[in-house]
Parts: sequence; structure tokens; C-alpha cells
Amino acid sequence: MTRIRTKLIIALLVIGGAVTYLVQAGVRTGWVYSMDADAFLEKTEFHSRRVRLTGNVGLDNVDSNPAMLYAKFNLEKNDKSVRVDYHGAVPDMFKPGHEVVVEGELDENGVFQADVLLTKCASKYDPASPHSQEMMEQGEDPYGENDQ
Amino acid sequence: MIPTLGTLALAAAALVSIAVMIFSLASVRFTSARALSAARWGIGAFAVLITVASALLLVALMQSDFRLEYVASYTERALPTGYKFAAFWAGQQGSLLLWGGMIAWMSAIAVASRRASRGVGEAVTVGVLATICGFFAALLLFAANPFEVISGIVPVDGHGLNPQLQDLAMIIHPPTLFLGYAACAVPFAAMMGAMAERRTDYRWLTDIRRWVLFAWLTLGLGIMIGAWWAYIELGWGGYWGWDPVENASLLPWLTATALLHSMIMQEHRGVFKRWNVGLLATTFILCIFGTYITRSGVVSSVHGFGESLVGTFFFYFIISLTVASVAVFAWRWRSLEPQRKLSSMLEREGIVLIANVLLVLMMLITLVGTMYPAISRTFLTDEVTVGASFYNRTVAPIGLLLVGLMATAPALVYGQQAGKRLGRSLIGPGIAGAALTAIAAIFGLHNIWALIVTLFASVTFVAVLVNFFHSVRVERSHTGAGLLPVAWRLLDANHRRWGGFVVHLGMALLIVGFAGSSLFPDKTTHQVGPGESFDVGRYTLTFNGLKEVKRGNYTAVVASIDAKLPGGKVIDVSPERRFYDKRPDEPSAQVAIRSNWREDLYLILAGWEANGKVTAIQAIINPLTMWIWIGSAVLAIGSIICLLPRIGKAAGIAVNGGSKHMEGFTKGMTTPANNGSSMRPGNDEDSSQLPRRPRRPALEPVHTAMLTTADSSDTDLRTGPAAAASCPS
Repeated sequence: MTRIRTKLIIALLVIGGAVTYLVQAGVRTGWVYSMDADAFLEKTEFHSRRVRLTGNVGLDNVDSNPAMLYAKFNLEKNDKSVRVDYHGAVPDMFKPGHEVVVEGELDENGVFQADVLLTKCASKYDPASPHSQEMMEQGEDPYGENDQ
Repeated sequence: MIPTLGTLALAAAALVSIAVMIFSLASVRFTSARALSAARWGIGAFAVLITVASALLLVALMQSDFRLEYVASYTERALPTGYKFAAFWAGQQGSLLLWGGMIAWMSAIAVASRRASRGVGEAVTVGVLATICGFFAALLLFAANPFEVISGIVPVDGHGLNPQLQDLAMIIHPPTLFLGYAACAVPFAAMMGAMAERRTDYRWLTDIRRWVLFAWLTLGLGIMIGAWWAYIELGWGGYWGWDPVENASLLPWLTATALLHSMIMQEHRGVFKRWNVGLLATTFILCIFGTYITRSGVVSSVHGFGESLVGTFFFYFIISLTVASVAVFAWRWRSLEPQRKLSSMLEREGIVLIANVLLVLMMLITLVGTMYPAISRTFLTDEVTVGASFYNRTVAPIGLLLVGLMATAPALVYGQQAGKRLGRSLIGPGIAGAALTAIAAIFGLHNIWALIVTLFASVTFVAVLVNFFHSVRVERSHTGAGLLPVAWRLLDANHRRWGGFVVHLGMALLIVGFAGSSLFPDKTTHQVGPGESFDVGRYTLTFNGLKEVKRGNYTAVVASIDAKLPGGKVIDVSPERRFYDKRPDEPSAQVAIRSNWREDLYLILAGWEANGKVTAIQAIINPLTMWIWIGSAVLAIGSIICLLPRIGKAAGIAVNGGSKHMEGFTKGMTTPANNGSSMRPGNDEDSSQLPRRPRRPALEPVHTAMLTTADSSDTDLRTGPAAAASCPS
């Protein structure tokens, strides 16, 4: 039955090759580096890539309008800040001073264009720390690149 | 009173589980039947004690006994009674108690229903169950005690239940999932027992077949109810976001799916023994691992719980389970030699092997993706988050390939000639499927993935139907009975075969729903003022303005919207935002969904300016989403058919078995391939029913003789001594 064994190995190799290809493609589109806002400013190699940033919403210069579906604010971390221009549904938990996560890319003017805005909280089903909006923001990209 | 009694019950349960472990060890050491009997009763006692604890917590919840921290944290006086009940599993401690209780009852039922009530295997099984039960008792006692008393002054009212958990789907989703997890513990323990006894035949597997199927069904239902909850409650327009918690529940389901298939192979052909042991262990470990992910805070998720000692408990439990499983696997590796070699890649075993490899790959990719943020955080300089598109480009295509394999299922047989038969049986369904796909393409379906899904789904349907009606026709030509009675008797004579195909049909419907809703969703955002109209897909929507409505324990802001359907009928589709009294800062979206077989109209109230002069409405058209829920129901029905014992009486069964032997006997005695017929009678039947199966007059010997003489390599193991003994002819 060596013929079968050969066929089996070939079949598994084909599957392995196909899966490796898929994983590579998946990694290219689905894996996003995430870091704090201040670290991002230092790491210039990430300035032309899609990244995920964590920081607090600055207290000044917050311009957000849930009805018009945008929010512009400074994302602050350790006294450094990045200007963020977000378009999409604004979470109810979005407030100055709160910790948020944004995903997007730096544009040529040094403004971070974000299409994902998550409000963050330490623990989830815990009564003390509410989180409802984060779920909503799961809508970020449920199907790959279908988001507007 | 309740806190003390509750903690006491948990402590007693923990002690009982230790006693059970000692008794089962003693029964092995001293070959004492009495010690084993005591151990078996101990499992029952454990279940009773956990039930007492659960009842106490339930009473506390119902009485709004805010002395208990748990009750104060998850309920309030104004909470409807149904949700007070559901608050049992709204938090960490309560959900672990529920899970522990389910494991206890599953263990008790398993121990009570097992036929072999003596021997090393049984002792090990009982011991392993006691260890799992004991783990939960210790966990509840030391890391997540639901009876913890509040420190300081007892509050007048509680915090209330998280608004998003106030939903019917959320009442039933966690218990269903936990039931699935708990049911996985039994086959795991049985496997340990069987390995200890070096039982490597198929019979120990038939003892747990129903358990595995039940676990698979409840896990699957739990996942789908969770998806349904996400769809109607979370308001982002989807049902599956590849969130770590969702992935965690998918992992054991994937391996259980593989297990269900390879178990049949071991039963019929004596192969895949190592796969089965490995998959059994992996499935249970993944159930625990899923809980670990959600409770430990190791990966941040949208629906996790906070970090706690619970994570540490689970971590060491996973390590112990893995070490034990690997040790047992290595110890019995040689005894788990397959009884035969693969004779063709295209026979059932070959296809099932490929399917299993694909399922395990899907599991591994999902596992790595889920853990990668934690892995990269620990070992690399920058943390990497893994988005949904990663899974959509890896797991989804592999899943689609699996559906392609599934389409061939009815045409698969055993033996060397399987390839030829496969080709012949697939010609009809293949042409029908290709024709349907071509029609779809002509009518404007140009997405390659959608066309592949159309092809695979239609071939699956046609192949199953052709197979069934072929069997009915053959049957009728021999008995001359009417169509419906014959169809019924055929179904009833082989629940596992036809139930399995119904599951496949459900999967085909599911994949159609997945494809439609994920490939072609149409998302738009509209900023409108009162009285304005806008078009979404085939609908014309009119926004009538915002209004505030006070109901029960929340106030809703309702965007009143009328939708004009293509037919001209006007219906009300009004999405809301709810502000719960206890959590005004935490509004929750209540979406409006209008569903039909073609598509869902899904509306979200995204935001508004003061007084609602400008209101933002997100509208999504999700094509074919209803088929996901219909497919899930079909899948469940199929599994239940598999689980049900035969209903019809003795006279019915000769039909299925008989004529098929005759067919083989009259037409194809000389060709070996024929006995690998696509509708082999006795093969797929439940062997546990063998003793109860009435004898088949005259035809049974022919069957056996034919199988053994025509192609000895193709003999069903069932026609060995065991089957012969239980089915004397």
C-alpha cells in the first residue's frame, strides 16, 4: 500500500501548502500592530502602516457629534498626543478623559485617520465597570474589508 | 443563613469528591467492588450537594438578598423575575456554579447509566469524573464563591443586571453552552477509563457515542444562540466577530465535529483509534481552555470577565489535563494501532481523514489567532491584534473546502473500488449542482465565493435526496409498499445515517446564510430629520421623529420609522437606545430587524443631536441571514434524529436490511464493490441497539456471508463475534 501512502502524503502536502498560503494572506490583512500613543510617535516605521493605538481622550479640543458620526480629539499618553480624526458611529462611552482604542493610519498631515473607535474598560461583566459600547464597536470589521 | 449553608454545601461537595477519588483508587488497589460502588454513589452525593448550593443561590436571588455580594452585583429589586433567574449565570461565580452543577449531573447520569459497573476502567472513569467535579468545588470554594457576604452595610438595592444580558437569548445561551462543555467531560473520563483497561476496540466508543453527539449538539446550539444574541442585541449588524470568547467556544466544537466522524470509522473499520483518543482529550481540554480565556484576562475580549484567581486555577487544571492526556496517549500508543490500512484516498476513510485534518487545522489557526495578542505581547516587542479579516481569509476558505467534502458524503463507501463508485454516484448531483450554479451566474451572481457555495450546497442537497429516493425505490421494488411508509421505515431503520445527512443539509443552509450575509451586506448611514424619507435597498423608510418612552426598568429613546415594503405595505421598524435606570451612562442599542427569506433589514439608532433634529440611522441589508437560523434548526433536528432510538416495531427493519442484501445478492455477488454499497444496512446503525434488535429472519446470514466472502478486506467489524452473538440467526 505504498501507493496510497504516497497519495496521502501528496494530499496532505497540497493541503499544507494551501493553508500556508491562506495564513500568509490572512496575516497580511488581519494582523495589526497595537501600541500606546506615545510609543507610536517614536516608532516611525509604523507611520505608514495600519495600527491600533491606545490612549486617553484629551480634555481639550474634543469635537464629536454622534448624529454626524464623527469625533475629533487628541489621543494622549504620557504627556504626548496624536490628533485623531474618526469617522463612524461614536460610542456612548466616548468621553474626554476616558481610555479608548483607535485603529487606522497616519495621514500626510500627521493626523491619525481612524475608522475604529473602541471605548476600553478593565473588566467586562463586572457591575462596577460598564462597557456596553465596546460591543457595538465590534462592528469595526466583522467581515474583513466590507466596512465603509 | 443562606451564605453559611451555601458555603457549607460547597465544602461538603469538595470533601465528597476527594472521598470519591480515594474510593476509586482503593477499588483498583484492593479490587474491591464495594469501594467502587461507594465511589459511584459519591458522585450522586456530589450532584445533590451542588444542587443544594445552586438552590440556595437561586433563593437568595429571588428574595433579593443583598447581603450576598453576588446578588447585589447582578440584580435589583425592579428586575423582572425571569432575569433574576438568569442573573444566576450573569456573573463569574454564578456561571461557574452552574457549570459545576451541570458537570456534576452529567457525571451522575453517566455513572448511573454505564453498563460496566466494575473493573479498573470504571474505577478510573469515576475517579476522573470526581477529579473534575472536585476541581469545580475547590474553585467555587476558594476562588469564586457565590456566597461571599458583602463587607460593610447591606445596600438597599442592587446594581442591576447588565442591560445587554437582559434578553431571552442571553437567558438560554450560557446554560446551553455549559451543558455542552459539561457533556464533554463524560467521554473524556470514559476514554481515560478505557485506556487504563487497554480497551481499544470500538465498544467503549459506542458507550459514549451519544454523549459526544449530545455535547456536539448543545455546543453548536450554544454557539448559534450566542450568535443570535449578538445579532439582535449588540447592534453592529453581524452575528460573529471572531472575538476571543466566540473563538473559544468554537474550538471544542471543531474538534468534536472531527471526533464524530472518526468515531464512526473506528466503529466500522477499526481505524483512527489514535485520532479518537487525541480528539476526545483535545475537545475536553479546549472546553476548559475556553473558560480560561474568558476568565483569566489573558486576552482582552468584549465579553470576558475580569482578571482573577479563577484564571490561575484554570491554568493549572489545563496543564494537568494536558499532561495526563499526553501521558495516557503515549502509554497506549502501540495498542492503538489501526486494524487496517487505507486502501483508497477516495473511500470514506480517506475523505474523513482529510476532513479531520482540515477541522484540526481550522482549530489550530483559530487558536493561534486568538492567543496571538498574548503571544506577541510576551515574546515580541510589539503587540499584534488579530482582526476578523485574518479568520475570514483562513478559517472561512478551509470551512468551504469542508463543505465541498461534505457534499460527497452520501456517495462515499468503503473499499478499494470506492473511487469509481464515488465518481458514478456524483455524476447526477454534480450536473444538477453545476446547472444551478450556472443559472445563478446567468442571473447576476458573479462573486466566485458565492458561486462555489452555490455549487457545494446544491450538490449536498441533490446527493442526499438522490441517495434517499434511490433507497426508497429499491425498497419499494421489493416490498411493493407505499412511498410514505417505506420512506418512514427507511428513516427509522437507520437514524444515524439519515440524521447525519439532515445535519449535512443544515450545514449547507448555514453556509448559504453565512455567504449571503458576509459577502453582500449593504451598509449605509443616513442623517435625517423628522418627516424625511430615504431608500434602503428595496425599502423606502420614513423617519417620524424621536420619542422617549418609559418602560419597566429603563427609558427608551425610540426612532420611529415606517418602512414601505416593495409590495406597498407599510410596517413599523423602530430602533431604540435604552437607558437603564441603574446604568444611565450605559445605553444599550435595541436594533429593529425585519426578516424574510431573502434578506434582513437591520436598523440601528446611531446617534442624534439635541431634540432629534438630525438623527443618524445606520441601515444594513443582510442577505439570506434567516437561513443561518433555519440551518441551525435543521442541524439540531438532524442531531436529535441521530440521538433518538428506533421508533418502529420489528417488522419494519427487515425492509431496510433485507432488500439491500437482496440487491447485493442478486445483482452483485461477484463484484466486491457492490458490498461497499452506498446504503449499507447494518453498518451505520447503533450497535447499542444490537441486543434489542429483533433478528432478521433468513436474510441476516446472507448478509454476513456475502460481506465476508465478497471482499474480506471490506468486512464490517460488526459482523464479528459480537454482532453474531447478539443477533443470533
